[in-house]
Amino acid sequence: MEAMSVTFARTVDDACAALAEHPGALLLAGGTDLMVGVNRGQVRFADVVVLDRVDELRGWRREGDEIVLGAGLTYAEMGRGELPALVPALAQASRTVGSPQIRNAGTLGGNVATSSPAGDTLPVLAALDATIDLRSAQGARRLAIGEFVTGVKQNALEPGELIEAVRVPVLDGPQEFLKVGTRNAMVISVVSLALVVDRSGRNVRVGLGSVSPVPLRPADAEAHIAGCIDWDTGSAPDAAAVHRFAALVAGAARPIDDHRGTAAYRSHAVGVLARRALLRAFPGGAS
Amino acid sequence: MSEQLGQPGITSTSILGNPVLRREDDTLVRGQGRFVGNVPLEGALHVQFVRSTAAHGTIGSIEVDDALAMPGVVAVYTAADLGLDDRPVLMGFYPAEMARPFLARDRVRFVGEPIAVVVAETQYQAADAAETVWADIEPLPPVLGLSDALDGENLLFPDVGHNVAFRNSVEDPFDFSGYEVVVTENIVNSRVAAVSIEPRVVAAGIEDGRLTCWASSQGAHNFRKAVTDLLGIEGEDLRVFVQDIGGGFGAKGVTSEEEVMVVHLARKLGRTVRWTETRTENLTGHVHGRAQEQKVTIAGTSDGDIQAYRLDMLQDCGAYPRFGAFLPEFTRQMASGVYDIERVEVEYTSVVTTTTPVCAYRGAGRPEATAAIERAVDLYAAEIGMDPAEVRRRNLPASSAFPFTNATGTVYDSGEYEMVLDAALEASDYTGLRAEQQRRRDAGDNRQMGIGICVYVEITGFGGSEYGEVSLQADGTVLAVTGSTPIGTGHLTTWAMIVADRLGVPLEAVTVFHGDTDRVPSGQLTGGSRSVQIAGSSMGDAADKLVDLARDAAADLLEAAPDDLVLDRGRGAFHVAGTPSASRSWAEIASEAAEPLVGLSDFVQAGATFPFGAHIAVVEVDTETGQTTVERIVAVDDAGVIVNPLLAAGQVHGGLAQGIAQALLEEVRFDEDGNPQTSNLADYPAISMMEVPSYERSFTETPTPLNPLGAKGIGEAGSIGSTAAVQSAVVDALAPFGIRHLDMPLTPERIWSALQASGA
Ligand SMILES: Cc1cc2nc3c(=O)[nH]c(=O)nc-3n(C[C@H](O)[C@H](O)[C@H](O)COP(=O)(O)OP(=O)(O)OC[C@H]3O[C@@H](n4cnc5c(N)ncnc54)[C@H](O)[C@@H]3O)c2cc1C
Repeated sequence: MEAMSVTFARTVDDACAALAEHPGALLLAGGTDLMVGVNRGQVRFADVVVLDRVDELRGWRREGDEIVLGAGLTYAEMGRGELPALVPALAQASRTVGSPQIRNAGTLGGNVATSSPAGDTLPVLAALDATIDLRSAQGARRLAIGEFVTGVKQNALEPGELIEAVRVPVLDGPQEFLKVGTRNAMVISVVSLALVVDRSGRNVRVGLGSVSPVPLRPADAEAHIAGCIDWDTGSAPDAAAVHRFAALVAGAARPIDDHRGTAAYRSHAVGVLARRALLRAFPGGAS
Repeated sequence: MSEQLGQPGITSTSILGNPVLRREDDTLVRGQGRFVGNVPLEGALHVQFVRSTAAHGTIGSIEVDDALAMPGVVAVYTAADLGLDDRPVLMGFYPAEMARPFLARDRVRFVGEPIAVVVAETQYQAADAAETVWADIEPLPPVLGLSDALDGENLLFPDVGHNVAFRNSVEDPFDFSGYEVVVTENIVNSRVAAVSIEPRVVAAGIEDGRLTCWASSQGAHNFRKAVTDLLGIEGEDLRVFVQDIGGGFGAKGVTSEEEVMVVHLARKLGRTVRWTETRTENLTGHVHGRAQEQKVTIAGTSDGDIQAYRLDMLQDCGAYPRFGAFLPEFTRQMASGVYDIERVEVEYTSVVTTTTPVCAYRGAGRPEATAAIERAVDLYAAEIGMDPAEVRRRNLPASSAFPFTNATGTVYDSGEYEMVLDAALEASDYTGLRAEQQRRRDAGDNRQMGIGICVYVEITGFGGSEYGEVSLQADGTVLAVTGSTPIGTGHLTTWAMIVADRLGVPLEAVTVFHGDTDRVPSGQLTGGSRSVQIAGSSMGDAADKLVDLARDAAADLLEAAPDDLVLDRGRGAFHVAGTPSASRSWAEIASEAAEPLVGLSDFVQAGATFPFGAHIAVVEVDTETGQTTVERIVAVDDAGVIVNPLLAAGQVHGGLAQGIAQALLEEVRFDEDGNPQTSNLADYPAISMMEVPSYERSFTETPTPLNPLGAKGIGEAGSIGSTAAVQSAVVDALAPFGIRHLDMPLTPERIWSALQASGA
């Protein structure tokens, strides 16, 4: 067996240098995805760069109207302090992830890098039009979430590159995250949906999870509902508008049948979630 | 209760019937439990099984050379050089050719079947080496559906000529045509996994020149017998320890092939070896439960008198028939449930399929009986338009009818069925619930309410005996030795209570010992909810015998006639009746005794006991998503006299959760090639705290005449009543949409699809 190297990076530069030195090295954050792969024999360790001691990747900060979320931000951290008030949908999503142990270890960067259709932060990031800050020994670049995730567990990360942070806007308006799973905790999403309202931008943005290879934005549904809301009063859209919104969301979904659910159920359920999220965001609306 | 237990001339307030906290928990919550995985075993080798990834196929060659060359590898065996004969079928009930090779020989019959075993210095070396073992398997078509297994030409054991392991047929089937109302339905009682928190684990080695084994089993002596029989050695040649175990639920009641092989390897290599399975091995290689396809036919009058019932079953045994093939026999005995039905007939066939073998799981055959008859009664009630509670009440035997012989010949010892039904109806405010349900139906609410009633009776104890030994130690403390193996059931607490009560000593003075086959002469399997009623009675009996011996000793010391002495259990001392001042305490008797006084018992219970109860489930079904929320579970359980209500409630709580789990969530599934699809706990949705309500629970106590405690079993009842109640509640919620039956598990998707099909 070949020897493997393990680098405990202390700074982002350390980590980038180690990646440059060991092409093909695996980044290890919370390990909650990676170690599952190792245990299943799907991932073979060569060289490992460990990220959880890199202080720069931890926590979050506010830069003007933007929140910069460190790649090492854990689910537990997303759900406490001031962050839930600033990015409610992310906090709601984080609370549905795994168990307390998983939420203490699992990170945002790991969820984004895994790029699974069932990754629970991805619909939120899609709805928020998040951008991803990438770094390598060669320099930095920034991609929109839609550019970053390219397929089922595929993304634009180049060899030698890591995710440094995720940027999301602070929006004026309610946010919702809803998820359907096979039980109420410790489950992989059968479908998930994030809905954010941007009052100043006068739009409603929706991210769908587990219904397509990449997190989906139902553009027609968004355009439709933005036009049905009286943005000056903020009053709820009428029942017909809500129904059409739900139908457009369901129609945008491109799910598959798998052992967790059928495509038909997923399309239906995501429509129901869309309607319920909208009604929560605009209470008083007719169902 | 102290009256029932007491002997004449004994006075005290009994500890029995009190919610005494578990003595086991302090050790467990401090992480000081002794599980097989943490028994310190210097230099133990690690065992890893190589498992089939094909559901069905013929084995060409198996290449092990690479594995043998891997670092740390001590040995690799296949069927050719393991040196063990095939495991014969259970008690000769099934075709002998269905014997199971310990490692697959010539043919694999399920994904997860062991085909080779690797022994290495470390767990990781064993795992790495196992990955290099390569088996050339020529695929054969899988045998999955039960009717396919029954009628198809694709055979698991071509020498047998069919896939049938066991069957029971009715000579001339009953004619249902003469009845006013006849209802039939096909029902699937889904396949589930036991999911003990601690998976299988076993270690074996030579200690002080003796073959010694540490097992996680539901019975130390049963384990020893199974292993020594299969290895062809004498019982005394193997010492088995069973200490703490992280759950069994029936699945650890059978000694598995892997466990036998581990002991065999220890002998063969003369080294200590240990095997701990992974969760995936547990979910695919260990046994499953239930797995029945049923057809019910129920007939009666249009005014609610049930007159005839027929149950047809196809039992899935998995690849090798063991106890699973026999499950429908228990279902047959309990087929008519709590009802007094004139005519009942049951036919069943157990077939092999290319899936994980099926065995006992909490309730083993009785939940299947209950689910079938309770669904049938609901269907019949719906057909005649009568309230399901009313139909049930009309068909229950009166309490004066006990002992009651049901139509399949099973004799129920004691019962008050109407009492528990009424108690549950009242506790749930049944009338109020029906009114609220009607309100939601009328309003076309998208959160429909469903109410499910299950009145159950189950069979426990099954007669038989248990070893009990209670002795007075020189220091005045008491040692209680039991043949029964605790499996998270709190024996240490309950046995100490029973002994302390009989002797009149503090609980702390009693130490309970179990789980070492060298020290405990015999023991039975913990299963069929038998422990308190049989082993507990044997403890009490042994304690009584110790009281007799101590009375003689005290009489000597007090120079009185033994018959004149009474035991004051409040003080823990013997004195002459009427003169309490001259007395001898347990400590004084102990210090004067030349050798420990030992009371021995082999208490035998003459037959089975029949606990019963009524569970009412209230669910809310979201008709848009199909999501069910269990709002309430009202459970009235009667397991005779309750020795420790806290522990008994714990048993009910766990059982209720497992029942809800089968009804709503859990199901072991295979794809069309026979690949397991639920091989980890992300895909197998074992229930969590998030899915269960706060239970509204109570006990009634109708004693059994069959043991001196008056106790019946409570270990399985929770899962028997709740499964049917929850299923029935969901179907009830969907009744306005014309849905009359849906199979478990009632997942959102299944409910939604049914609603779609109904045109809702
Ligand atoms: C029991 C259990 C329950 C779970 N439940 C959920 C759930 O409900 N919802 C959900 O979405 N997920 C769930 N997961 C999956 C997992 O927890 C999340 O995806 C988590 O966010 C992964 O983060 P991590 O820090 O553990 O990543 P790791 O496992 O350390 O890494 C995952 C991948 O990301 C890469 N990576 C990590 N950090 C970076 C970085 N900064 N830059 C580039 N690449 C990086 C790694 O190389 C690896 O390929 C669950 C996992 C388990 C084991």
